[in-house]
Amino acid sequence: MRRILLVPFIAVCAAAQLPAQQLRITGLDGLASKAKESADITLDSNLLQMAGGFLAGAGKDSKDGKDAETLKQLLAGLKAITVKSFKFGETGQYRMEDLEPIRAQLRTPGWSKIISSQSKEETSEIYMRTDQGKVAGFAIIAAEPKELTVVAIEGTINLNDLSKLKALGVPSIPVPDKKGKKE
Amino acid sequence: MNLDDELRAALRREDPAPDFTQRVLAGRVVARAKATHQSNRPIFRMAWAAAVAALLIIGLTATYEVRQMKAERAGRDAVLALRIAADKLNSAREKVVRLEN
Repeated sequence: MRRILLVPFIAVCAAAQLPAQQLRITGLDGLASKAKESADITLDSNLLQMAGGFLAGAGKDSKDGKDAETLKQLLAGLKAITVKSFKFGETGQYRMEDLEPIRAQLRTPGWSKIISSQSKEETSEIYMRTDQGKVAGFAIIAAEPKELTVVAIEGTINLNDLSKLKALGVPSIPVPDKKGKKE
Repeated sequence: MNLDDELRAALRREDPAPDFTQRVLAGRVVARAKATHQSNRPIFRMAWAAAVAALLIIGLTATYEVRQMKAERAGRDAVLALRIAADKLNSAREKVVRLEN
């Protein structure tokens, strides 16, 4: 009898000691069909490594070589990145409750909200995950009446460098478009 | 039996077997086929090696192309993902600054 009680107790204790898990973006699968535009990107460490190599190679001979190098450095610290973004033609295409499975994960130990801005119609939240005192990931939730974006970043990334990406001229990196043409 | 008799017996004229000619001709055909096969062997080997080399080159090129395409797509996705993340990060920061002011 004592053993029967002890096993669940140990399991609960072990679960409490586990580090916060990587954020899984769930509950938004049905929104793509309602959206005017959507982006669903999932890149694991292998793909990020390949992407870094490709971008460095693509930017090596161009005037944007420095930007490509910055991008490569940004990607180097990442283990995974997931982006789900939806742009709707009308309001009311999603409910705040759709975000509850994601918010529930962000309430677990290890995650902390670092930026939060909430108005009547818009919500912007940035969360940081720490593991043994080190930054291990970020999550961004941006909910607007006609737009919903959730970003999960696993690994280390300098948010200041990330925020400067636009200024660095990322669009001019010679990344081919879907038709295979280079920008 | 003395030596003369032995020699005479050994050197006595004997008629060949009735199928002797056929056997000689058949042997010659086999020998010619063998010789032809042996002379073709290096060409077959070279052709075989060339085919294997060609298949290897095609396989490696296809693998490289697929990998390159995958890297290209990953690069494009990574740029888009970081661009969206940067946009939303800046937007959140701006909103906070706006609210504080």
